[in-house]
This record gives sequence, structure tokens and C-alpha cells, in this order.
Amino acid sequence: MKQLPLFILGLWGVVFLKCWADGRLNILLHSIFHWLIFATGIALILLALVGLRWLPQTGKKCSYWSIILLIITGLALILFPPRPSFSTLAANRSNIELGDSELSFFSAPEQRSLTDWVRLINSYPDPELYAGDPVLVSGFVLATPAGPPEIARLLVRCCLADATPVGLPVSWPKNQPWPKPDQWLQIKGVMAVESHHGALRAVLIAKKIKQIKAPIRPLEP
Amino acid sequence: MQQLITVWAVFQGLLLEAMPFLLIGVAIATVAKALDPRGRLLNNLPRGPLIGPLSGALLGFALPACECGNVPVARRMIGIGAPLGMAFGFLFAAPVLNPVVLLSTWAAFPDKPWLLLLRPAGSLIVALLITGLLQLQSEAKLLNSELLAERRLSQPLIDVSLLNRRSGLIGSAISQPQSSNKTNHGVKEFIELGALLILGCAIAALIQTLIPRDLFLALGEAPTLSIISLMLLALVVSVCSSVDAFLALGFADLVTPGALLAFLLLGPVIDLKSISLLGRILTWPAIILILVGVSMVVLLIGQALNLVML
Repeated sequence: MKQLPLFILGLWGVVFLKCWADGRLNILLHSIFHWLIFATGIALILLALVGLRWLPQTGKKCSYWSIILLIITGLALILFPPRPSFSTLAANRSNIELGDSELSFFSAPEQRSLTDWVRLINSYPDPELYAGDPVLVSGFVLATPAGPPEIARLLVRCCLADATPVGLPVSWPKNQPWPKPDQWLQIKGVMAVESHHGALRAVLIAKKIKQIKAPIRPLEP
Repeated sequence: MQQLITVWAVFQGLLLEAMPFLLIGVAIATVAKALDPRGRLLNNLPRGPLIGPLSGALLGFALPACECGNVPVARRMIGIGAPLGMAFGFLFAAPVLNPVVLLSTWAAFPDKPWLLLLRPAGSLIVALLITGLLQLQSEAKLLNSELLAERRLSQPLIDVSLLNRRSGLIGSAISQPQSSNKTNHGVKEFIELGALLILGCAIAALIQTLIPRDLFLALGEAPTLSIISLMLLALVVSVCSSVDAFLALGFADLVTPGALLAFLLLGPVIDLKSISLLGRILTWPAIILILVGVSMVVLLIGQALNLVML
């Protein structure tokens, strides 16, 4: 079937538009690339339509394996949206050093996001600076190899491939089991100082924990 | 099971980010072929061993695309008979020597002006040396057989015999694409390269989800091992050259300056995602030669920088 390559182009146009429309890009790519996915979908569909209408179908055929692989992958992308485990992804990647964010000191403690808190603590590591500050943050539960889970977010510069976790240590209520990895929580509490492997560090004492839905845009830029 | 589901998501992220750049590259290559079917413009560009690759490298400023987009353009250059040195110079240096990548490097590291200077300079050195190394081999040993046949059709008979062309009196004829058929050729190119990109993204997603990234960063303090580990990370992570500087920002302070530069030099030339794409241009021995050659040159550049800065 000589027109099959053009149908494949059309199929991939649909794949790109479906990915753009169904919201999955929010968990896969940095937002600066979203328009590129939409434009690529439109371009592929237009190319397929123009080709089917006007181009004579001559020339060499594509290899069968390429055609089969593109069709199977395209259909799989449509049928199986991504449901990544952020905790699994983050477990293989160490927390990163975030740049300075002096402005964070100007915002009220309870208005700081989790990323703001991690930035601030990275910039000014003395935990005594934050002891007693009220905290209201949300994030997913990130299991740690030794010790209680942290509350974390993933930072993305390009796509999920470079996602890197930023996490805040949490002191969970003693009378409750630790939450399961990947649960999204909103935690209200206060900052405190604790001794960890012989050094002092800032820790969030969780006072009120609410399970929440994953946000529409769970990745932080 | 959780890991496989996560691999599937990382694969989608990599593929959706890379495929538009592949399409842009194929579109540029197809338009270039339509405007200049016999490559007269490219054939008039310099051919010298130094000036050839240099002019190819500088073409990156005219065609700003990352490595996925550069492969179809370089393939087209070679197919229409452009000087091989120029095409290789473009293939290896243009993913760094273009305004988008230089701007993103500056945006990520405004406090490291040396990086803004050494990244393009290092990339140029890598491209010149690897192109020189490749040109010690014959075209037949370097180029993918399909591309070689196409290239020989475009070369003057003074350079290539009828026997080499596999057309005319001896061998089977290979048809030069007709003008009405150039877009079909572009469609075929997109499908062939798209399938290879899928394979590359699948391998990269598998490895980087299953192998802890800390393995690569654990050796950050040791001058030589830090360079080698960051080179391995660049191979595995396979992010596009226009954003790799932002990724490197996350661990820039944990590793030596030489390792940071090595990460930013190696990835744009070769990584798991692009190895399969390079197979559409080069033979496997040539790809292995590039991998080994680039690794050695980048290691030396990283070592030299560590020697100066540590």
C-alpha cells in the first residue's frame, strides 16, 4: 500500500494532538515545549493530507520494521497514557542543589512552596533560622532508603528524563503509620531542628496532614 | 511493575520532546534538496581538511537544531555530494555551535563565563579532530551503504568510476529521486529516522530509570573519574543539547569543572538516543570509532581544564 507512509504521518499527527489535549504533557515535559507538540501534530496532519491529495506515490518503500514500529508505538501512546511513579523515579536520583532565592525570605513562611523552602534552606543552611516558622506545603511522598519518607516535588528542565527531586525531611505523627510513596499530601506544621547523622538539620514537624489529588501540573519548572 | 510503568512515562517524555526536532531537521533537509537538488551551493563550500569542517561547524548558526534535527540535514548534505569534512563538521559541532544552545548555556551558567567560551571552543576542537580521524578512512568504510550509493550518483565521474556508482553499464541502476518525489523522500526519511529514534529513546529510558543516577555522580570529587562518570551520564541521559545546560546546573557544584565541561561536550555529539540515528549515516565500525575518539578527546579536554582550575 503506497500511501501507508502518509497514513503513518497522519497517525502521528493524531498522537501528538492527543498528547497535547489529554493533559499528559503536564507530567512529561516542561511547559515551554507544549506549543511545539501542538505545532508538530498540526504539521504532521497537514503533511499527510497534502500528500494524500497531491503527491504521486512513487519512489522507494519504507522498511517494514520501521512502519510496524511506528504504528505500534503510535497506538500504544494513544491507548496507554503515562502513569509514572514519581517516587520510583526520584529514588534513583539524588536531590539537587538549587540556586539562591533570597526573595523567599520576603514571603511569609506559610506562603512558601516546598521548592521555596528547599531553595531557602540550601542558600542559608543554618536550621535555627527557621525553627518555629509555620509551614503549609504540598507534594508527593518520597520514600528514602533509611529513615522516614520526605515530602517532595520533581523539578524538570526539559522532560521527565531529567526530572530531579527536591525534598523536605518530615517528622511524621508518632501515632500514625508513615504514608505510602506517591501519595499527594498537604502538610501543615512547623519547622524544627533535629540531629541527623551527627549534624543539625531543618525538619518539618507535621501537625495536620490532608490527602489531596495530584495537581494538574505536578512538575515544577 | 512500577519501574516498567515509569520507564514507559520517561520514554514518552524523551520521544515527544525529540520528535519535533527530528521533523524540523527532515523538513530543512527536504527543502534544501528541493532548492539545490545537485548540491551546487554546498559543493562550492570549502573542502580543505581544516576549513571544510570549520565551515560545516559554523553552519549551525544558520540551522539551529539539536542533534536529532542535525542528523537528517547532515545525511542530506552527504547524499548530494557535499564535502564529507564539511558534513561531519556540521554533524559534530552544530548541536553546540548554534545560538539556541549558546544562549541556554549562558542562561544556565551566567556565573561561569569560562564555560560559555570553552563549550563552543571544545566542541569545535572535538569536531575538527574527529572529522580528521574519520577522513583517514575511505568513504566506503565510513558511510552506510544506502547513503554511499546515493552520494556516488551525485559525484563527478572524475572522482567515482561507473563501477563504484553501480549504475550505467555495470550493476543495477539507482534512481536519482525525481523532482516530484522529493517530499515522498522526506516522508520516508522521517519514518526511517523516527523508528530509530523510538529505539534510542526506549534504551535511554530503560537505562536511566533502572540505574541510579547517583552511581554517575558519586565520583564527583575525583578529577579523572568525575569526568568519566559525567561522560557516561551524558551518554545515558540523552537530553537535547538545547537544554542539557539546565540539567547540568543541578549537579554543577558537585562535580569538577572538567567533568561539567565533558558532560556538555559529549552529549551533543553522541548519546544512546542518537546512536541509532547515526546508523542512517555511518557504518557501525565508524560509529564505534566516533564513540571512542570523542570520549578520548573530551576526556583530555576535561583533564586539561581540571589541571588549570583545580
